[in-house]
Amino acid sequence: MLSRILVVFQLIVFLAATAALPARAAVVNTGEYLAAARAEQSLGAAGAALARADVQAQLTALGVDPQDARARVAALSPAELAQLNARLDELPAGSSVLGLIGAVFVVLLILELVGVTDVFSGV
Amino acid sequence: MRAALIASLLPLLGLAAGCALLKPVEPPTVEASVELDAVPFFPQDRYQCGPAALATVLSATGLPVSAEALVDDVYLPDRRGSLQAELAAAARRHGRVPFPVAAGEEALVAELRAGHPVLVLQNLGLDSLPRWHYAVVVGYRAEEAHWVLRSGRERRRRESVRAFRRHWRGADRWGLVVLPPGQLPAVAGPRDVVDALAAAEPVLGAEAILPGWTQASARWPGDADLAFAAANGLRAAGRPQAALRRYRQAIANDPRHAAARNNLADLLLAYACVGQARAVLAPALAALDDDDPLRPVLAATAREIEQAEPAACRLENTQEELQP
Repeated sequence: MLSRILVVFQLIVFLAATAALPARAAVVNTGEYLAAARAEQSLGAAGAALARADVQAQLTALGVDPQDARARVAALSPAELAQLNARLDELPAGSSVLGLIGAVFVVLLILELVGVTDVFSGV
Repeated sequence: MRAALIASLLPLLGLAAGCALLKPVEPPTVEASVELDAVPFFPQDRYQCGPAALATVLSATGLPVSAEALVDDVYLPDRRGSLQAELAAAARRHGRVPFPVAAGEEALVAELRAGHPVLVLQNLGLDSLPRWHYAVVVGYRAEEAHWVLRSGRERRRRESVRAFRRHWRGADRWGLVVLPPGQLPAVAGPRDVVDALAAAEPVLGAEAILPGWTQASARWPGDADLAFAAANGLRAAGRPQAALRRYRQAIANDPRHAAARNNLADLLLAYACVGQARAVLAPALAALDDDDPLRPVLAATAREIEQAEPAACRLENTQEELQP
């Protein structure tokens, strides 16, 4: 709930800030052109701002410092932002092969012994 | 009959013998070995292969950085890992341009030959029980048919062609080549390069990315988007004459490139070449759909052209049509 309120607040701040920028309507910059040309990435300016705030809130919820989360989200491309916003929970998070537990460990140990996986020789 | 019986039993035998009887693995068609010995090694801490692999490829570009310093840039504590997109974003924040690697083993070797180590995602587990892991490919030994990786706590982990192929395919053969601005990957398509440079431009700045645009535009002279992006960069860098040529090149490559026509018209207008600006913009304005997102911008440019006072054009060769 709190994160939702924060998202809305950040969106208002963002829109206020962008509205104050001097408009240079007559030129299409490369990023704007690609956003329009690549249909799958076209969140639109307001949609992108919302997605940015939403992903930032998700990173914070996963234990990232809020200041770091802001800087991390700022360097994502529109396509990456759309991808994280749509399915951050399902995306692979490369970690390591340490820290396996219980049944998973036993299953993987058997598979390892018959040569299907390489988990334990991985690290 | 007998052959059919044996054939039906083969899969079972294969399972029992650790899949040794499966069809032989074709190694990549590569004649000579290549290994980047100078690529540094950062042994990973628990779960933190993302920061370690990223530190490896960033250091290989001459950037002094440690894996610990990258933890706050890419690590997700509650996921105990790092996301692919966040590795790319962090590379940008450190002044480097990440490019997706072409999804093929021959392409990996081509990158190694160009001196580019490749950060790869691997699935060391199963499709249904994945164990995601980042490593850096630094070599391929043709005579033994194995790959060499900086991985986990192993400086020189060797993986057979079969094992590496399974691990990499399990991660959709995803990889990153991380380069200083102005350098391009050995194997790539123009579309991936356009997207990679455009993603880096807001983070690194237009000036830093301009050499990348001009290099890419030289490598793919027939690509309209690259010529357009290079032209935008040249104009931002205060080189209107060079920008004019690139816009012309973009339009020669794709006469329907509305954004290139618009920006060229705006450039011509800024240097008082009103008639030329009108001639460049007219076909784009006529061809554009009413609901096209570029329509308001083109309409604004057209209004500015109509309001412009007649004056002497201050650019040269404005009529020249460059061939792609």
